[in-house]
Amino acid sequence: MRVTQGMLAANSLKQISNSYNKLETLQNQLSTGKKITRPSDDPVVATKGMAYRSNLSEVNQYKRNLTEAQSWFDSSESGLEQVNSILQRTKELVVQGLNGTNESDDRQAIAREIEQLKLDYMQVGNTQVAGNYIFNGVNVGAPPISGNASGMIESNINLDPFSVEVSKGIQLRVNIHPENIFGQDAFELMNNVQTAFEQNDVNSLKDLSTQVDTQLSTLLAERSELGARSNRLELIENRLDSQEITATKMLSNNEDADIEKVITDLTVQESVHRAALGVGAQIIQPTLLDFLR
Amino acid sequence: MSSTFHGLQVAKRGMDAQQAALYTIGHNVSNANTSGYTRQRVSLETFPAYPAPGMNQTGTAGQIGMGVEASTVERIRDTFLDTQYRDETIKVGYWDARAGALEKMEEIMNEPTEDGLSAVFNQFFESIQDVASHPSEAGARSVMIERAEAVGDTFSYLSTSLKTIQGDLQNERDVAVTQVNSLLEQINNVNQQIQNVEPNGYLPNDLYDERDRLLDEISKFMPVSLEYTKSSGNASATSEGVVTVQLQTSQGPTTLLDGKTHQVNAISVTTNQDSYVTEIHIGDEIRNPESFPQGKLKGLIEASGYIDNSGNKTGVYASMIDDLDEMAYEFVNWFNDKHQQGVTLDGDNGVSFFNEISQKEGAATGIVIADKIKQNTNNIAAASGAAGTDRQGDGQNAQLLSQFRQKVLINSGNQAVSLDGFYQSVIGQMSVDAQQANRLKSNSETLQGAVEQRRQSTSAVSLDEEMTNMIQFQHAYNASARMVTMIDEMLDKIVNGLGTGGR
Repeated sequence: MRVTQGMLAANSLKQISNSYNKLETLQNQLSTGKKITRPSDDPVVATKGMAYRSNLSEVNQYKRNLTEAQSWFDSSESGLEQVNSILQRTKELVVQGLNGTNESDDRQAIAREIEQLKLDYMQVGNTQVAGNYIFNGVNVGAPPISGNASGMIESNINLDPFSVEVSKGIQLRVNIHPENIFGQDAFELMNNVQTAFEQNDVNSLKDLSTQVDTQLSTLLAERSELGARSNRLELIENRLDSQEITATKMLSNNEDADIEKVITDLTVQESVHRAALGVGAQIIQPTLLDFLR
Repeated sequence: MSSTFHGLQVAKRGMDAQQAALYTIGHNVSNANTSGYTRQRVSLETFPAYPAPGMNQTGTAGQIGMGVEASTVERIRDTFLDTQYRDETIKVGYWDARAGALEKMEEIMNEPTEDGLSAVFNQFFESIQDVASHPSEAGARSVMIERAEAVGDTFSYLSTSLKTIQGDLQNERDVAVTQVNSLLEQINNVNQQIQNVEPNGYLPNDLYDERDRLLDEISKFMPVSLEYTKSSGNASATSEGVVTVQLQTSQGPTTLLDGKTHQVNAISVTTNQDSYVTEIHIGDEIRNPESFPQGKLKGLIEASGYIDNSGNKTGVYASMIDDLDEMAYEFVNWFNDKHQQGVTLDGDNGVSFFNEISQKEGAATGIVIADKIKQNTNNIAAASGAAGTDRQGDGQNAQLLSQFRQKVLINSGNQAVSLDGFYQSVIGQMSVDAQQANRLKSNSETLQGAVEQRRQSTSAVSLDEEMTNMIQFQHAYNASARMVTMIDEMLDKIVNGLGTGGR
């Protein structure tokens, strides 16, 4: 093949420009840390990347939702703990009242304490967390329990579950069953105890004592269920944590550049580039003219 | 019996011929860097020998050589390589235009990043989920509205940017048409000059070069078939004649430039109100955009949009704009529909979240949040079930709304796919198209480069070679000159040295 100076020059230029292209790709990979800078570099990586990002965003959101669920569990648990002490104290007082040695005055005093406990109970039922009534189902804007001046307490509880999505399609109920703990029955019971003491009615106290026990065991059942759900929450949290790691790893494997490889390639390309420049300079310069007298 | 001055004539012819060769070398060297220049060679032939046979031929020994003559000055060029080169140039032009258009589109769509449409979808999803888990919080609701605004803005930004680039491409297309017409005019001019020279028996090599260069240029835009018609008169056997340029479309060939009549049929495109190409006129003939052959012009027409044979808007940008409109339309309608089925924080039935969009075209630029929602965040219908104020803690409807990426269904071919799936396939299609365009562009560039290399190998000026030839011809010239001196000495002997015996 006949080769001319022009061809040599054009070739050198083409090779040097190719070499610059490769350097640019490697430089991009190195400075962005990504294998691809535009989707056409690798369409599969690009579309997968979109899916993985959505996935990761979902996992992160579900983790945020979990935090919300956790705070409901914690608040509910502390509310139930308070109800527990109220009922325990009521039980003590009832047992004390059963004792025949108590004078009528003493019983009146106990009746006052029971009244206070009843009001406490009511307040626990109206617990608000971040402006939401947590023991009123989904009707978080209204207090579930109201009392009037005559001491009559009315409980009007929304029965719908307050639930939070904690994984795709999995809804977790985060409130307790408030009707079991703060239902009308519970306040009737407290009222009855108070009346029994006020009216010095020892006979009915015996019956009421069993009712308080029943209420305590209902409470226990509710607390156990809450605990069990809290465990489930932890399980889900662990699962989401590992999902997050997997999703991040997949995203990284999919599109992150292998830095060691890129740097090695860059070094190799650099020396190729130097060679291309050097050879170009060597070849283009001399012509026959240099050797003719 | 040859003449006394025979030798002088032979030597003179030698000097003339070598001189012609040297001057041609000078021409070659001067044009070593002229684009499209083809190296020229003087073909040297022996001059008809003496004596010519005939009735009254002289009775002398054999034929004696009469020296040399420069018969023609020819280009050293291989037309087969030209055809190959132009074939590749067509592909380079087409794929380069397509790759350029898709490259800009990739930059606009900006996927996969933290700023593209899918990232905005992710943020919107998160904000709705926050409302679902904190239905009564005004903060979460405000964030959801802002994120919804971002979704609308992003759709609108993408669609508007695509249309801007599409407009640029339409300009580029019109410029390309002007360039083609100007090239045709130039070829026509050169044709006419050639036709003036050739009948005199000369070879207008430099005009041939210019015409070939122009034909290379026009091949970037579209494939042309060439037909040469010899000039009449005393035209040389190696002359090329005038060229007739034809365009092959799938609706039959049409003449762009008639070499015999010197008529140029200029190309023009007719467009509709959106600047989509509807017809291509070539002189009096009309062709569909779809039937136009591959090349830069076709690449630009495809990128900037045209009306296909069944009357639909087609094109790289047109289809992306349509897809965005489709997504926006389905998204808004689904979202409004589901939102209306919910219950607001004030216990009322939900209203439309976005302003209603009634037609697909332009939907992407029309996503606006309804005033009622903007004015009062309570109007976001997060709760489900019957209307009533006792459901402030219910986020069921918000939960449903947050699944818009999976639940919005868009018809794609014969099946309905989710919004996420549809968008991914749109981006996937774009990337595959861009990848293909880049690959074929670089392939055809490589092939074009290889052909160009071979063409250069045949036709380019090699300075070393010219130097070598120069020395060769210079020596021949010198030798012829020496011949004159020698004959001069011979004649001197005859004129001044003979008949002096006895002086």
